[in-house]
Amino acid sequence: MDLDKLLETSDRCIHDEPPACTSRCPVHMDVIAFITEMEKGEFDKAYKVMEKRIPFTRIIGSICDHPCEEFCVRSELGGAVKISELEKAAVSYGFSPPKKTIPMPKNKGRVAVIGGGISGMTAASELDKKGYQVTLYEKSSRLGGKLWSYVGTDLKKEALEEELKALVEQGIEVELNTAVDKKMLQELVTEYDAVYLGTGVWEEELQIHPEIFQVGDTSVFAGGKLANKNDSVIFSVSSGKRAAVSIDRYVKRISLSASREREGPFETPLKYETDSIKSVQAVKKEADIYIEDEAVREAGRCLKCKCEKCIRSCSHLSRFNISPKSYMRQINQNERIILGTRYANKMINSCTLCGLCEEECFKRISMKDVVQETRESMVERGKMPVSAHDFALKDMKFSNSKRFSMVRKQPKDIKGSCEGTGETKYLFYPGCQLPASYPEYIEKTYKYLVSNVKGGVGIYLGCCGAPADWAGRQDLMRGNVEKIKETWENMSRPVFILACSSCCSVFEKYLPQIAYVSLWEIFAQHGMPHNKKISDKHVLSVHDACATRHNKRIHDSIRKIAVSSGYTIKELKYTREKTKCCGYGGLVYFANREQAADFVKHRIEESDNDLLVYCAMCKDLLVDGGKRTFHVLDLIFGDDMEKIATRKMPTLSDRHRNRAQIKIRMLKEIWGEKPDMDLERQGDLKIAIPENVQQLMEDRYILMEDIERVIDNAQKNCERFFNPREYSYLARLRIDNVTYWVEYKEKGEEVLVKSVYSHRMEIVEE
Amino acid sequence: MDVDKKQDIPWLCDKCKKELVLDKVKVRYLEGNFEVELLKCPGCNMVFIDEELATGKMLEVEKELEDK
Repeated sequence: MDLDKLLETSDRCIHDEPPACTSRCPVHMDVIAFITEMEKGEFDKAYKVMEKRIPFTRIIGSICDHPCEEFCVRSELGGAVKISELEKAAVSYGFSPPKKTIPMPKNKGRVAVIGGGISGMTAASELDKKGYQVTLYEKSSRLGGKLWSYVGTDLKKEALEEELKALVEQGIEVELNTAVDKKMLQELVTEYDAVYLGTGVWEEELQIHPEIFQVGDTSVFAGGKLANKNDSVIFSVSSGKRAAVSIDRYVKRISLSASREREGPFETPLKYETDSIKSVQAVKKEADIYIEDEAVREAGRCLKCKCEKCIRSCSHLSRFNISPKSYMRQINQNERIILGTRYANKMINSCTLCGLCEEECFKRISMKDVVQETRESMVERGKMPVSAHDFALKDMKFSNSKRFSMVRKQPKDIKGSCEGTGETKYLFYPGCQLPASYPEYIEKTYKYLVSNVKGGVGIYLGCCGAPADWAGRQDLMRGNVEKIKETWENMSRPVFILACSSCCSVFEKYLPQIAYVSLWEIFAQHGMPHNKKISDKHVLSVHDACATRHNKRIHDSIRKIAVSSGYTIKELKYTREKTKCCGYGGLVYFANREQAADFVKHRIEESDNDLLVYCAMCKDLLVDGGKRTFHVLDLIFGDDMEKIATRKMPTLSDRHRNRAQIKIRMLKEIWGEKPDMDLERQGDLKIAIPENVQQLMEDRYILMEDIERVIDNAQKNCERFFNPREYSYLARLRIDNVTYWVEYKEKGEEVLVKSVYSHRMEIVEE
Repeated sequence: MDVDKKQDIPWLCDKCKKELVLDKVKVRYLEGNFEVELLKCPGCNMVFIDEELATGKMLEVEKELEDK
């Protein structure tokens, strides 16, 4: 797996990007953290958030010219959040004098700061904190410069005086009434390690670097109005801070420009969807500054912009509470581990590979593709947990064994239907789970196709390989694809008629040379086999199949079939290309049942209407979750609709039996063939399974045929334990890579099963 | 994964009609090979694994090994 590419993709995720207000703030105040405290009325904590980024917080917080607000996403929805007014409120209600800190030893070097205004004070204070001996030259008789013009309106005189006093007490030398000119600057340059120029005006034009604030290649750095060419207070502060960083690097002789991206204001890549956000007007001030309650309410208007679209719509990302960015980082770690536990395995096997995240993502990041590639890599390196997909892969093997799989041309004569031609322009491929869930519909559908589609329709029973694809088993996939291709060639390249959305997606991905048409398009085109129309008061919501989220022809056909059967369609929020998965996709149903249940639950919560689906597993899982759900074939062939709407899925064992029997029945009835004896093989044993044991079988993936084999072996070879107190037996048999245990009692001819369990660990009996 | 030695086990080997005894037994899964004390028939060596062990500690170890 290309991990560099993975990390590049993870960098594209905008989940961790700052909101526009913070990115545009010249000192990058953490506005969301600030607002979060304000909203709770925790003004002192809000003030502390400001203090982290804003020097002279009490002063600047009261007079900031707030370039952030212009970019607020709320602007069009009731007006920008009044961040600046909230800061004033935080200063008023949350200010506390900064804790006295032990001053750093001033041994880094000596710096002269010229100009005691905002930028000069900032640079001096920052350099002092970094351990420089700073001398501040001010031409007038007091520090503060332009700040004094705010006294009486936004600033209290005492507050300003206190801050200036604190600056001096910090240990900064201040030379008042000292005007510095060009000549004196030259002297300072020789005397000090570096000089900061924050005089607002200067006697000559200077070449000031816009990012690092160096004047030419000298030891002079300039900020404030000289560099910014504006009167902005906060830009002045920012330039003073940034110039101090440059001076520190200059004196230490390290790169002035390295790793300083995003130091100034920048355009955030973050996007935030506001479609469902209601407009709320800004809170009006009753007095000069917000009173506490007003501030709390105004803070409540903040959207706290963060991109979480995919997380909110995906039951998997929300269960693991993870952004694609962190997800990919965890995959990266998981892939790099040589010795130790791979903690991300379970997560990686809990993605349904449905592709909704990509539809939701502004950047079109597809976790489906990422997880698919990861699973393939895990398999290649032998690091895929076997138990996650073993049952499903064995089920696929069953589907492609002679117990289910078969290929037949259209017979020359179909009983009670029509005259066949023996031609096979089309091949009906119903997939594996539809015949497992609804065997009765397969025969009816086949007869319908033969009667309605010209050119002859054959049948091909088997599995397309979707389970292998989901499990990352490219080895199995290749073999499967080859076999389908070979059959297609042998049948003179018929058009496949597909009934399963997963088959459609597998054919598109692996067998693009095979033309296919969806069964639903055929029904929509040729009409219903009946004239039944139900009341249009019956409203259905279509739960589209995630495997064909981009197949509009299928989406339209399903709706056409429903409407022509008399139903009214009400679309879900997540529909068509934005449909959600039922939880079966990606074999999540086998790898993490709780995760699969989340998908069902979230989907069901979307609507009170009955659902209409066209994938057998969607129907089975949704009904299992308690939702009235129809398969589109129920609309076409079903009779007792009330019963059908809540019909539970067959057990895992019945799913095998249904497939085996549909083959036998169709061979007999349509092709007049006598199936092999062993296909019809029925065990001689009469085995009774109480309901609680049936549930255990489902939960532990144990089939009736496994139980039969264990008991058969126990009886024939006496390989079993006996409990004389209960008169019961306990027997085990290793089948393939699993040891199955059955506890049972014998009652005459009948066997009563008391419990079943299994383990994968192999016991060496010697 | 060793079994509780004080456990009262009513099971006998049906083939050998012998009571089960505790013994070192080799078990393996994926890359893991280790010895544990389990009950087995002293005659035919058939090893006894009860439901609690299979669905509890054994499953846990299987999962751990799968994530290694």
